[in-house]
Amino acid sequence: MDASAQLPATAAADQDSREWLQGLRATGAEHEAAIERLHALLLRAARFEVARRRPTLPHLRGNELDEIALEAADDALMSVLAKLEDFRGASRFTTWVYKFALLEAAVKLRKRAWQGREVPLEPETWSLFASSGLAPEAELEQQELLGALQRAIVDVLTPHQRRVLVAIAINGVPIDVLADRLSTTRGALYKTLHDARQKLRRHLHETGLQLGSWLEEENR
Amino acid sequence: MKRPELKQALGRLLGPVGPEVGCDECFEQLDRYVELELAGKDADAALPGLRAHLAGCPACREEHDSLRALVGGEQAL
Repeated sequence: MDASAQLPATAAADQDSREWLQGLRATGAEHEAAIERLHALLLRAARFEVARRRPTLPHLRGNELDEIALEAADDALMSVLAKLEDFRGASRFTTWVYKFALLEAAVKLRKRAWQGREVPLEPETWSLFASSGLAPEAELEQQELLGALQRAIVDVLTPHQRRVLVAIAINGVPIDVLADRLSTTRGALYKTLHDARQKLRRHLHETGLQLGSWLEEENR
Repeated sequence: MKRPELKQALGRLLGPVGPEVGCDECFEQLDRYVELELAGKDADAALPGLRAHLAGCPACREEHDSLRALVGGEQAL
């Protein structure tokens, strides 16, 4: 009898995924071979992520990038093995494990890109929002919008919400980097960001500011 | 600056409208979401709130794009 057929976590899994699980749950040489194959798979995914991000990391040499990919694959292997029993076959096993390697590589590369850089928690510039070449009437309308936004950020948000919103949404600090600097998690920071955004939207709505005409401009 | 760029900047600031999942739930569901997308199925109906999260979270969006590119590239071979 196929041993993997007894495993409830594989009920929905395809044959290839069941074979992966069977190998990883085996003992001895079969287990070692499956681990080796899994690491190779994770390393391929980590290198894929490194290659995608390479243009944004011109200061890193090839061997440094490959070291990051290897570390990402090693860490992803640990995560996959720790969560193996969580796999329910909702996707192919290979797709499920790829996301661990891509996450590890992306987080490491974002952190490396910001290594030694100060994380700006106050608005560095509002120029991202400032249009040029507008008709005087449109420019005035835009100034009113930006003024209302800046006042709302100062008046409505808590200091922590303001720092998180400004760092991520205005200054472009990656959420993992900010989480690392503030000793928190990505999930917790995103919750703060989400709450801040909701608060801003509510406030702007209550003050009668029509955001729709700005946010839907492209679709007109 | 053209108004579409202003729209993008405002979108980053104010985030998506409507319910969305958090980063942890997004990671949990990302593999299934990507496979549904690549199969041409209605991933948004199957996993509501994930598309909105990807619109609001640059890091999760990058990881989604990478997973989709990696798996999609394999399927194309």
